[in-house]
Formats: sequence, C-alpha cells, structure tokens
Amino acid sequence: MKRSNKKVLAAVPANGRPAKTKSKKAATAVPPSRFYGTPLPGVKPEELSGTLIVIEGTDGSGRSTQIYLLTEWLESQGFAVQTMGLRRSYLVGEDIDALLAENAVTPMTLALMYSTDFFDQLERRILPALRSGLVVLADRYIFTLIARAAVRGIARDYLHGIYEIALRPDLTFWLNVRPEVAFDREFKKSQTISYWESGRDMSLSNDLFQSFIRYQSMIKREFEYLSKRHGFLELDGESSVSRVNQVLRTRIASHLGIRSTQYKPSHALSHLWR
Amino acid sequence: MVTSTPDISPTADPAPAKQPATKRAYPGALVVVEGIDGSGKSTQLYLLKRWLEIGGYRTHFTEWNSSPLVKSATRRGKQRRLLTPTTFSLLHAADFADRCERQIMPLLHGGYLVLADRYIYTAFARDGARGCSPHWLRNLYSFAPAPDITFYFRAPLDVAVNRILAGRPKLKYYEAGMDLGISLDRSESFRIFQERILNNYDQMVETDHFVLMDGTVRVNKLQKLMRQIVGEKISLQQFAPKKK
Repeated sequence: MKRSNKKVLAAVPANGRPAKTKSKKAATAVPPSRFYGTPLPGVKPEELSGTLIVIEGTDGSGRSTQIYLLTEWLESQGFAVQTMGLRRSYLVGEDIDALLAENAVTPMTLALMYSTDFFDQLERRILPALRSGLVVLADRYIFTLIARAAVRGIARDYLHGIYEIALRPDLTFWLNVRPEVAFDREFKKSQTISYWESGRDMSLSNDLFQSFIRYQSMIKREFEYLSKRHGFLELDGESSVSRVNQVLRTRIASHLGIRSTQYKPSHALSHLWR
Repeated sequence: MVTSTPDISPTADPAPAKQPATKRAYPGALVVVEGIDGSGKSTQLYLLKRWLEIGGYRTHFTEWNSSPLVKSATRRGKQRRLLTPTTFSLLHAADFADRCERQIMPLLHGGYLVLADRYIYTAFARDGARGCSPHWLRNLYSFAPAPDITFYFRAPLDVAVNRILAGRPKLKYYEAGMDLGISLDRSESFRIFQERILNNYDQMVETDHFVLMDGTVRVNKLQKLMRQIVGEKISLQQFAPKKK
C-alpha cells in the first residue's frame, strides 16, 4: 500500500474548503512524526506501514454508518480493515459501561478510564494491525475524549499531555452536524436520549432536549478548537449518506493510491444508502 | 483551561515537567510515605496512624491501588497479563483519581490530616522504571495536591529485597517486573526492578523535598523521629479533638 506524499495531500481541499494544514513549522522543520510527542514505550514508528483513518463527530453525525460503508468499499478494493471505537477494549470496556450505569464516577476518573480503554486498544489491536499494513478505521479517537473531558472542566493541556504518546492519524474527518439535527437522528434511532449523550451529569437543564442541545453545543465548540489545532477535514454531516461517503472515498482513495472511487453498497448494506 | 498551542507536538516548545500544585486552598494536611517494598514505610505509617488515632485527631488513612472502582479491571489485567507500561500506569492513575476526587480532596477541604501509604512518587518511580516518560507521568498526576510532608524510607537494596523474599512464597508477575523481560528468574527480576525504582526515588529526594528516613534504624526509634518531624512541620493542634 502506498503511503505517498502526505504534505501534498494535506493541502487538497475537502468538501470545497481549503484544508487546514497541520502546524506549518512541523511540516518544514521535521518530517511529520507518526506520534505527537514521545512515542509509546517500546514502539518503533518506522514499523507502522498501515494507515490510520479517524472519523470524528458527535452522536448522530453518521460515523458508524460511514464506517460500515467504507469497510465494504476498502475490502472490495483489496485492503484489509481493522476498526476501533470507544469502550471496546477487553481491559476496561465493560468496566466503563458499569461506571456509566452507576453515575457515581467523577470526571477525572472517567477521563482516565477512557484513556486506559483507548491505549489498550491502540497497543494491543491497532499497532499490530498497522505493523501488518492494515487500514484502521477509528470510530472516534482521542479528540472525542479530549472534548468530553474538557467540557467537564479538565484542562486541555493536561488532556493533550496524556495523549501526546498516541499515534497521529493519517487522516481525520469531522462529520459536523448541528445539535438539533443530531437530536432528531438520535431520537429516531432509540426513541429516547441517553443520560450521557445529553450531558445530564453536568446539570445543564432539567429538560432533556435543552440539556442535549446545550451539551452538544459545548462539545461542538471544543471540536471547532480541535479542528484548527489538528487540521481536521471537516465534512457537512447533514448532507446525504451517499454524498458524504463520496467525499470520504475521494479523499481516502487519493491517500491510498486507489484509482477508482466508484462504489455501490452490496445488498447487505443497501438500507444505509440514503 | 484555554490554550493556543497549535499542536500537541512538543518539538517546537516543550513545556517544563509539571510539579504538583503547591497552593493550599484547604485547611487539611497531607502526609505521605514512599519507598521500595520492604523499606519499612507501611509499618511506620501504621504506627503514626495509631498515635494520631489514640490521641483523637481527625485523621484518615489511604492506600495506593485500593479504589474499588477500578479493582476488577486491575485484576483482569494482571491475571491475564494484558497490561503494558502505559495501561498499567493509566489504570493506577484512574484508581488514584477516584480516591483523590472522592476521598483525599474532600477530606483536605474538611480539615483532616490525611495519611497516604504511597503517593504519586510511587508512579513516577515504578512506571518510570517500566519505561514511561517522566514528563508524561508528571503531567498525568499534575492534578494531585502536593503533600505537606513526604517521608522517603530508604533501606539498602539487599535489606529490602530480603525482607520481601523471606516473607513471600511467590512473587507476583507484575510485582516482580516480569513484564520488563529482564530475567526469567522472578527473584532476580524483582531485585533488578527494585533497584531501578530505588534509583528513581533517589533522584527525587531534592526536587520533591523528601524527608529521608533510614529504614535500617530500629522501629521504635524511627517512629519517635517520625512523630517529632510531624509535630514540627504540621500544627497538630488544628486536628486535635475539640474541647467543649
């Protein structure tokens, strides 16, 4: 698989917007590192031949749908795909579920449990996949974890410090949707709105809708900041599934050196194609 | 909480390693003991605790790695040997954060004398010996309140290691530092691991204002000294039982 000139690719406009390049200083002074800071203990960056692609966005932004479709498309193109997401680690995934169910956990503890969950997946699943040259599709990454903890009062610098040993994605897409649209989609999906998705632990409002909107707006502001800091490729998450998928495929194809971006979902996934 | 740094990357302008916050915004006090296994620190802290309890002082004892919240994860990770230096460190940090947010901070604000058997320096020494970056570790624990006194119990490596080996039928995998792959022999691995930890502690004596305690001194004599230092550095009167 080709890991061709990242600097040039980073300047390609996505969705009609000029792409925000990563720190210019870093691009000219030192070759772009695969890690933000000191690599994880025991990891050799040069061994990682695979590609890490991150899809970020709030609940209801369509991330999971896009990941199903991209997986099928990449596999049809002959690329092996590994996925990751939050609370999926063997080590603490279930423990976090239990903590969330109890509502007794405090912000710092929760933030650190999430970081444990993240690094367990990164070290034991994702790095081996990248060493084997796979394409990793991450359904959320450190950015959601930073945003959620930051709106709960934990210093952004502190959070960036924890994640500076994490792997820097090759591409980070942000599916941006308005909180009102996210509310409609989430409500349609489960006929209710969850405690944590609406930030009920933050006592923003007793009204679930108000609480959801205010919480998701705070998260969105964090993402706007993170987007500038980390050069996200921002997409309009409110346009159709097929349109968003087209933009994602185009960008990923150029990164991986895939010529054709033609794709029609198989029968199994056709219900997602709206 | 606002920052304008353009990237996480420390290549441009590395921030200095963070020290624990020194500002005391609470009436309580924090006394911690540190040192390698077998240095005698737990015995001494227990005796200090008994002295304060018997005197009726408002005091609370807290232990490293004891939060029920992350217990199952730690157990699972250790049993199946899933822990890397990073996840080992983060799991202990989560454990500490839980005790810090739900016990230590509320008690310090409530005017208690908090006694801690091991504190953040254990993480700096032990996780550092596992290969975590000191800078990363300092940031990770930067939310911890700075102790009023940090007693560092120092015993020669042989003395400490022999105390542990004599009393334990079998050393546990992580306890012996087997994850580091230093030696296939557990006792040998333990010894080398403890030596690295000891060196890391020694390097913090000045920077973190440790009060050095000689772990080979007789127990009652050492306890007398410990009580004397606590009496000098902390105004114990404020924790004494209130007379009506």
